[in-house]
Amino acid sequence: MSIFFKPPIDIEILFDNEESRKHVDIAPRSSNSSYKSMKESLPVYEDGESLGGIVTMRVRDGKKVDHLGIKVSIIGSIDMIKSHGSSNSTSKKATSITSSSSSNGSVDIRKNSVDQFLCQSYDLCPAGELQHSQSFPFLFRDLSKRYESYKGRNVDVAYFVKVTVMRKSTDISKIKRFWVYLYNSVAAAPNTPSTHESQSNSEGVTADNDAADTANDDKPKNGAQGGAANGTQVLPVSHSSSDSKPVRLDIGIENCLHIEFEYAKSQYSLKEVIVGRIYFLLTRLRIKHMELSLITRESSGLQTSNVMTDSTAIRYEIMDGSSVKGETIPIRLFLSGYDLTPNMSCNYFNVKNYLSLVIIDEDGRRYFKQSEITLYRTR
Amino acid sequence: MAYADSPENAIAVIKQRTALMNRCLSQHKLMESLQHTSIMLTELRNPNLSPKKYYEVYVIIFDSLTNLSTYLIENHPQNHHLADLYELVQYTGNVVPRLYLMITVGTSYLTFSDAPKKEILKDMIEMCRGVQNPIRGLFLRYYLSQRTKELLPEDDLSFDSQFIMNNFIEMNKLWVRLQHQGPLRERETRTRERKELQILVGSQLVRLSQIIDDNFQMYKQDILPTILEQVIQCRDLVSQEYLLDIICQVFTDEFHLKTLDTLLQTTLHLNPDVSINKIVLTLVDRLNDFVTRQLEDDPNAVSSNAYLDMDVFGTFWDYLTVLNHERPDLSLQQYIPLIESVIVLSLRWYPNNFENLNKLFELVLQKTKDYGQKNISLESEHLFLVLLSFQNSKLQLTSTSTASPNSFATSKKHFIFQLISQCQAYKNILALQSIGLQKKVVNEIIDILMDTEAEESNDNEYESKLHPSGNSAHLVIEDKLQVQRLLSICEPLIISRSGPPTNVASSNTNIDEVFFNRHDEEESWILDPIQEKLAHLIHWIMNTTSRKQTKKNKSQFNLETQLEILLLIKSSFIKGGINVKYTFPAIITNFWKLIRKCHMIHQYILKERADNRTLLSHYSNLLKQMFKFVSRCINDIFNSCNNSCTDLVLKLNLQCATLADQLQLNEISYDFFSQAFTIFEESLSDSKTQLQALIYMAQSLQKTRSLYKETYYDSLIVRCTLHGSKLLKKQDQCRAVYLCSHLWWATEISNIGEEEGITDSFFRDGKRVLECLQRSLRVADSIMDNEQSCELMVEILNRCLYYFIHGDEAETHISIKYINGLIELIKTNLKSLKLEDNSTSTVTNSMNDLHITGDTNVKANATANDGPGNTEKDANVAIGSDGVYIQLNTLNGSSTLIHGIIATASGSKLLHQLKYTPIYHFQRTCDYIESQREVDDRFKVIYV
Repeated sequence: MSIFFKPPIDIEILFDNEESRKHVDIAPRSSNSSYKSMKESLPVYEDGESLGGIVTMRVRDGKKVDHLGIKVSIIGSIDMIKSHGSSNSTSKKATSITSSSSSNGSVDIRKNSVDQFLCQSYDLCPAGELQHSQSFPFLFRDLSKRYESYKGRNVDVAYFVKVTVMRKSTDISKIKRFWVYLYNSVAAAPNTPSTHESQSNSEGVTADNDAADTANDDKPKNGAQGGAANGTQVLPVSHSSSDSKPVRLDIGIENCLHIEFEYAKSQYSLKEVIVGRIYFLLTRLRIKHMELSLITRESSGLQTSNVMTDSTAIRYEIMDGSSVKGETIPIRLFLSGYDLTPNMSCNYFNVKNYLSLVIIDEDGRRYFKQSEITLYRTR
Repeated sequence: MAYADSPENAIAVIKQRTALMNRCLSQHKLMESLQHTSIMLTELRNPNLSPKKYYEVYVIIFDSLTNLSTYLIENHPQNHHLADLYELVQYTGNVVPRLYLMITVGTSYLTFSDAPKKEILKDMIEMCRGVQNPIRGLFLRYYLSQRTKELLPEDDLSFDSQFIMNNFIEMNKLWVRLQHQGPLRERETRTRERKELQILVGSQLVRLSQIIDDNFQMYKQDILPTILEQVIQCRDLVSQEYLLDIICQVFTDEFHLKTLDTLLQTTLHLNPDVSINKIVLTLVDRLNDFVTRQLEDDPNAVSSNAYLDMDVFGTFWDYLTVLNHERPDLSLQQYIPLIESVIVLSLRWYPNNFENLNKLFELVLQKTKDYGQKNISLESEHLFLVLLSFQNSKLQLTSTSTASPNSFATSKKHFIFQLISQCQAYKNILALQSIGLQKKVVNEIIDILMDTEAEESNDNEYESKLHPSGNSAHLVIEDKLQVQRLLSICEPLIISRSGPPTNVASSNTNIDEVFFNRHDEEESWILDPIQEKLAHLIHWIMNTTSRKQTKKNKSQFNLETQLEILLLIKSSFIKGGINVKYTFPAIITNFWKLIRKCHMIHQYILKERADNRTLLSHYSNLLKQMFKFVSRCINDIFNSCNNSCTDLVLKLNLQCATLADQLQLNEISYDFFSQAFTIFEESLSDSKTQLQALIYMAQSLQKTRSLYKETYYDSLIVRCTLHGSKLLKKQDQCRAVYLCSHLWWATEISNIGEEEGITDSFFRDGKRVLECLQRSLRVADSIMDNEQSCELMVEILNRCLYYFIHGDEAETHISIKYINGLIELIKTNLKSLKLEDNSTSTVTNSMNDLHITGDTNVKANATANDGPGNTEKDANVAIGSDGVYIQLNTLNGSSTLIHGIIATASGSKLLHQLKYTPIYHFQRTCDYIESQREVDDRFKVIYV
């Protein structure tokens, strides 16, 4: 449609200090051929941060444009690939039209919004006539953002600002995406998001979330410090053990393998280092090598039709050759260099991280043990 | 990441990546170059490389990484910070490349003083645990060790040593583990590979020894116990052997000296298959080196040195005792070299302490008994041989060091002699061995005693020119006991051949023995090297004892001692049974020497102190006593070898008789002569030997001077002649009788001052001479064989001419008439001989031939007493006194008997020519008479 009718108005959205903001590069995660592997650089905002900017309307060829009002809205939505009939598709159609004008590959057209957890809007100007280019500043003050932006295989969490010029005929709209990081440091226990979930879409959720933040106030700081320390210091200081209990597991195959492994903690900030050790109590296996991999598991959909997708974020060889009884193999994995996803959870999907210890024997057989860890983002 | 499929490709990849890395570095593209490095390092993950190939790859990579390291150091901190890089490289996905990079970056960082050195080092070594593959792990840790070589913190020795030891321990574990990888049938390959890799592990100990320098406290308290614990715990054969060896080698010997206990204790806890003796030997070597060095530093320090305060031998001894107690499973093969090495030690440290050696040998003895002497295998037999005959190369060193001016080291000869005389246990061990082995060992020992003697005598000549003062190197036998011990050692040799043949069959080992025994059965007089050696030994012993005398100038007191020693020798050699025929002559000879010496002393006393009756009678008694001993010896020979050596016995008797005669002991002399006659009469049956014996007797008798009293001489010579005339063969009779004629015609012996013409007391009786000649002529005439008869007559003519020249006709009764008659007789006989042959021309021809060629040969071959020696030049044949033809080999002087002339062309020609020998001989005599005419007028009346 846009090919035939060029919209009479160009809309440009500029955020305040956009250039100087921290940006994040988002690689398209789906292997959809039409989008190549272009990287998109998006400005990063965090929870509670105000978002302001200027919308500039340019009228084409000096023509006057009548409109029924200009509206700016900020939207956070969860988009999912629709694997099964989900009825509310009508409203999606409109967005799909508008999104095409954004010409960015960031939004996967296969994914449809299943939930708009954030939607605020206000009018920039009342109905009238646009005669020449005009700029409108906008500001969403202390905007609470419940979820972190996420781009997964089946699920996206997307945030954008949408400016709509309402007209009698087709509305003209423009969206601008931005990225959200939640530095809530200590990820709540897996259950806590689901309790939030029960109250979802209500105004109180954000408050609730804030409360959770403040409640865990001392912890994130601590974690942040630990992370910072690790970032600059060469050697990880293992004093951050107070954060969470270490993960200890004693596993084995009868009369064949018996190992004990230990990670210093079960919760890590994305800048932290996973430190641990593996203690061999018995090995009859002829091990070729041993790897530690970090698996991000995305499960989406409603309880009844859950779709699980695993993606290996890190694969890291920690032992070469076969160990013997009594040996201890050290583990040290720096996380900051990898693009990882912190744990997330809502009633549509959740993202969990697992550390998987894989032993590959000389015949190529793989033995593994996964243990869940929680990743969270710190400042 | 993948690695190349072959070592060649791997090297190509590495080179390519190195080039790329270097290019990126020159453009300061660090990240890219690290990427290349990482790819290059992937080659080190290849599991298909043999240790050797892996090492090649490693070396190339090491060089590349050195480049990288240099860059990293130069650009820190302008372009990057090494601390950041240290973290960065840890993102490498594979553990082997990651660790190599970590170590490269980490060690680069260590070069800066602000780096947290200890933390980095600890971290690197800790992370190295990630590589558990033995080969890759070993090389990685070796890389760590190489890189950190110069970079360990200098101020904290204990940290450094802990670091290296930690690395060492892990390497050792990996190394041991390598043995147990792969299929069982490749065990050998694994062991070989491990040996190739051992240097990597050993290098850690070398590093340790470098950094601890002389910090003994640390060595003793921290390092050694830790290392040894590792060694014990790994329970691995290759590892234990190698590491202990390395420990012994790399740390200073002073340390070893002070921690001897610990080291030795360790060997008790090793894998039972470890050959402890090698380790102990290495240790002993080190300790001996220590002594050597001490001596070099200060040659006079022998007595005052502090190290001698330590009871090194005691420590070793305690150790051996404990070992014996705790490891009864140790076989003799392992035990003997062990003790041997302790012997080496003892010899170096306490060269004069034979008690130690005795102790050790006793231990061996006990051990051997425990095992049962029957169970000594061939291998351990070899070990015993080495042990007992001191063929150990280490000991050889000791013996060669005699050449040095250092009197500290004893010569091997001295040593062995001391050993024999002082260590009872040595003998006992020897006695436990099989006969064959005993013989070998004793042989060896005697060789050493003799050989060094020869060497030494050369040395002494040389030395005495340089230092006229002293040669202490002479081996001196101090007393009888030593001789006794020596002899008891030699016992197996002495009795070696008398064993019954069944014994030989059972001791299946010794070929020599069988060989000798076969000869024994034949009772032939083949030279026996062993017995000859023993005879040599007898002389050697007696020589050393006499040497001692000259040194102390106390001959009159030592004659008795020598006699005692000789009797000792005799009593031990008599055990040899049939062997006495080889050895007793040597003993008898020594008796003769003593007799002469005794006589000299006797004479001396007679001259100087004639009044001392007791002394005189003592010595004369002694003389008689010794003759009795000799007689006993001769009887022993006679008794022990029935008839096989009567000839020898006869001759010995005759020689004794001659000796006694020379010493004016007529009765003794007579006794010996009569003994000889008894033997002749009773035991000599072979006619050839009989003739020889008679000639020998006549020779001896003719020279006697003391027997004239009491008509001993008369009866003896009559008896002799009588025997001669009773010989079986007529030509023997003839010859014996005409030779006996000399018994009535004594001639001068210038040695005792007799001179023809001046001395008038010669025993001469011409009548009897003539009688003898006539008698022999009668016999010659009666011989049927014309040829023989003629030959004998010519011989008698020669004899007549002798008397004719040497005495007046009145005295000798050999008249011209008689001679002429004899010549006539011969001529007649020769004519009849010629008649037998048809062709006279041939005769003359051949006679001429013989005549021409004969002269030179006669001069060369004719003997005064033996009369008719004939030669035929072409064939070099002579006729012996008993009528056999002897072919002379002119080249080497030996002769062979022609028993029968083979009927070949040359043989018959020879026979033909031999026929004319009498003719030629007669011709020769006639020529002689003619030539004598010019000097002696009496010959003019002899008609030829």
